[in-house]
Amino acid sequence: MRDLPSKEANLFREILKCYELKQYKRGFKGAEQILKKFPEHGETLAMKGLFYNHLDKKELAYEFVKKGIRHDMKSHICKQTLSGHISLETEELKGIFGWHVFGLLYRSDKNYEEAAKCYAHALKYDKENIQILRDLSLLQMQMRNLEGYVDTRHVLLELRPQNRQYWVAVAIGYQLLGTPELGVKVLATYEETLKDLPSTPDYEHSELLLYHNTLLEEVGDFQVALDHLDTIEKQVCDRKATKEKRAKYFLALGRLAEAEAAYRDLLALNPDNMAYFEGLGKSLGLGSDRQTAEDEVKILEMFKQLQKEYPRSNAAKRLPLRYATGEAFVKVTDEYLRNMLRKGVPSLFVNIKTLYTDSAKEAAVEKLALGYLTSLDKSKGFDNSGAVVEPPTALLWTLYFLAQHFDYKRETEQAMGYINRAIEHTPTLVELYMAKGRILKHAGDHVAAMGALNEARELDLQDRFINTKCTKYMLRADNMAEAEKTAVLFTRADIPNPLNDLVDMQTQWFSLEAGESNLRQGQIGRALKRFHQVDKHFNDYTEDQFDFHTYCLRKMTLRAYVSMVRLEDQLRTHPYYVRAAQDAVQCYLRLFDKPDGSESEEMEGMTEAEKKKIRSKQRKAELKAQQEAEDKKKKAAATAAETAKKAGGNAAAAAAAVKGDEDPEGTKYTKCEDPLGEALKFLQPLQQLAATRIETHLMAFEICVRKNKLLLALKALLKSIKIDASHATLHEQLVRFALAVQKSSSAKSLKPSVKAVVDKHWPELYGSHGQDLNAFNAGFIEKTKTQGSVAHVISAAMSAYLVDPSKNLTKAEELLFSVKEEKFGRTRTLENAILVQKTLKGFKSARQSEWKTKAKVWFPNAAAFQ
Amino acid sequence: MTPPAIDMSSTTTTTTTEDKPKNVGFRVGLGDITPNNLGQLKRLNTVLFPVVYAPGFYKDVLEVGEFAKIIYFNDVCVGAVCCRKEPAAGSATEQNLYIATLGVLAPYRRLGLGSEMLKHILEQTNLPVAAGQAKIVKVYLHVQSNNEEALEFYKKHGFEVAEKCENYYSQFEVSDAFKLEKIIN
Repeated sequence: MRDLPSKEANLFREILKCYELKQYKRGFKGAEQILKKFPEHGETLAMKGLFYNHLDKKELAYEFVKKGIRHDMKSHICKQTLSGHISLETEELKGIFGWHVFGLLYRSDKNYEEAAKCYAHALKYDKENIQILRDLSLLQMQMRNLEGYVDTRHVLLELRPQNRQYWVAVAIGYQLLGTPELGVKVLATYEETLKDLPSTPDYEHSELLLYHNTLLEEVGDFQVALDHLDTIEKQVCDRKATKEKRAKYFLALGRLAEAEAAYRDLLALNPDNMAYFEGLGKSLGLGSDRQTAEDEVKILEMFKQLQKEYPRSNAAKRLPLRYATGEAFVKVTDEYLRNMLRKGVPSLFVNIKTLYTDSAKEAAVEKLALGYLTSLDKSKGFDNSGAVVEPPTALLWTLYFLAQHFDYKRETEQAMGYINRAIEHTPTLVELYMAKGRILKHAGDHVAAMGALNEARELDLQDRFINTKCTKYMLRADNMAEAEKTAVLFTRADIPNPLNDLVDMQTQWFSLEAGESNLRQGQIGRALKRFHQVDKHFNDYTEDQFDFHTYCLRKMTLRAYVSMVRLEDQLRTHPYYVRAAQDAVQCYLRLFDKPDGSESEEMEGMTEAEKKKIRSKQRKAELKAQQEAEDKKKKAAATAAETAKKAGGNAAAAAAAVKGDEDPEGTKYTKCEDPLGEALKFLQPLQQLAATRIETHLMAFEICVRKNKLLLALKALLKSIKIDASHATLHEQLVRFALAVQKSSSAKSLKPSVKAVVDKHWPELYGSHGQDLNAFNAGFIEKTKTQGSVAHVISAAMSAYLVDPSKNLTKAEELLFSVKEEKFGRTRTLENAILVQKTLKGFKSARQSEWKTKAKVWFPNAAAFQ
Repeated sequence: MTPPAIDMSSTTTTTTTEDKPKNVGFRVGLGDITPNNLGQLKRLNTVLFPVVYAPGFYKDVLEVGEFAKIIYFNDVCVGAVCCRKEPAAGSATEQNLYIATLGVLAPYRRLGLGSEMLKHILEQTNLPVAAGQAKIVKVYLHVQSNNEEALEFYKKHGFEVAEKCENYYSQFEVSDAFKLEKIIN
């Protein structure tokens, strides 16, 4: 800055301040003023670029910052750092200011890789610049360059050894690198330097000590961890954490009597914490997976005592149901169910159905509940003893419970009977209509299900939960217009397009359901738009952690911070992402298979003339919709401009609102050059995080086989085989792989190197069947014959057809129709029956209507068979 | 789905112990009628009464305040009462209260819920009124002439038959009705 005369130097200080205070316009004017006199002043040029960035002129921003660096390097200037601290040292350093600004620019664009490079450049000129080192370490953490993080943090620690944050950061780095023992050493060294310990409760110090203890726990020597816990106890504020840790350590060390006492102590604090009960059971040597009859008696006795001790604890009442069997189960469940039905707990069935993994328990519950109903009808009591008259609601909740129970077993008729009786009994109860809707949904009648949910919604308009459920059912029935109308009842009303509020609020269930509805209707572009929205939300979650890298260190919330960082690493295993990824991959596969896109499921198997008719109808509808959207946009724009004017506020936001959605159909996605490449982008996180799920590899195969990447397809198959060699879809994929190899081989396009690898693994895939796919398929049918699994039958039929469409058609059809046999009853679900129908359609089979008639007997309500 | 705005102060727990078999205790509470739960009132009226009420009826219900209530039994909505105020003939300072509907779902009858609602309405009529507002001097209603149960119920609460209105319910088989009334002091 020395190279500026004092007037301009002051002005420059002024604009730095403007940046800190986010007064970008004022700062920009200041920079222009300096540049008028000194057009080649590097630092000012860089600052001007930074201001451009905040005034939404990205390109100019990069241009000026680069210009700044160029001039900065020529001139001798002083060291400047931004963001928080501005040190005005007069050392002569080249370019550092410009590179730092460049890094900030990249960071604001979330381009962490490039930003880190810029910081590294800046550090070349000044290895010990604290601000830049800190910024760099944040980027390294964000990108999980943990080695780099530890290195940078070491440098910082050496520069500022008196600062606690720098010690802690190094420890965290080691912990995340998987070497908690080094972290322990760092913290121990730091703690030794502390002269006087805080005498009053000090939360930050307390958290530091607990973090230290957590590291010891992670190292795995529980004795050391326990001893440490004893020494720090007096200074720890989080008493509950101390108690939980101590109980856990006692248990791990086998000091069972002490563990028991510790868990009993914890239960007194919270008698509804399942983990405490579990810990207590373990410390008594009970509650393991393999439980003897003796253990069972003991554990039930334990819970009996606890119930007396904590009469208000729900967990103490519910947990015995998990451990009890046989007669004892009937006894405890009887008591539990009566209590809950008398009280009227709507969630009772959801709570009970987890026991149904044991079919004996399922049968016992059914018998009990049916018994209650008979008695309530006869004598208004749960048994016919005549001792107690239950309130009328007991009958109501029993009917509700039974309806859900039989729906769970997919016995639609029974379930409908009970729910209709319940509605007749008390027609004002919202839950009943929801249950009815669910039964209808499971029976395949989505329109009637939506009707039931809407009835429920109209009974209680202020209930967001039922409004949300109703919206979801509308989407399942592919009624987008109603769904949008219903959803916006609970969104912000003061924005031009209230539906956008759902996106802003990251309402993922809506994006997913709407996208899946679009997909069902063949609107691939719209569907992809939704699935990309979900992907973006997950990106945002990842971005959102950035601020915590500094914030948590400052606040010393270290245990929470580390668990957050670990959570972020697993984020995309969340079912919402998995679902969005699977759906998106499906969309892109369809785009690849049928680039013209518009072919919906209904149109498959139609003649050209019919298709043409439908297409022209669709076009007309589209034009009309476009016109309507146009009008709506104009109106919305007018109101938005109006509100913005009234608020006198943010012009940019108003402009964005006016702009609206320029691509409602999502043509950006349907017109993409490389659908398979896009599909891969969705899949990659799953390959990394969900490699144990077979679906991941099944999808990978679908993408790779279309790309004709045979080796990658082979890799996916081998992974699938490892997870579940008898998976139904896998068999069909194996057949398709063999066909792809044969085709490639006969076209002479199979590279010898590829062929060698494929040949090597061939026996792993096809056993002794070699190239004879008919024999391979026959083997599969034989092997899975006794399973009675519809999915496997479909796969076998599909495979037979693929091997030879003309010769094997009859055989494939016969296979599909074998599903009518009794042994398939268990897996003859609505989903599978629909899948058979689709498969027949794919064959262009003449027996489609025969199947429809057949399936309609099993699923009389299903819309698919009407 | 928690029922909206139950006034907990009016929630009572009734346990009868005197005669066997023992009744299990239950909770009763009155709640306001709002635009959000109007659907429940409509559903109740459809089930309870053969008369179809016009949209205007439900609009008025939202404006009479404490004179229209829903009753909850163990947090489930099972009955309702709706009244309207009518100017008394020839007086500006007095008005009558007409009970248009009062009903409880069949499984929940004989548990004191109807009395609870009627008691509430009568209490409200006894409250002092603000200056310039008309005082309620009479509560009245119509009962189908063959509805013994209802007649007995209202008589128990101090209502008297004022007149017999022939062909009052012209669309029903039993078309005659009794007009019952109670004078408020």
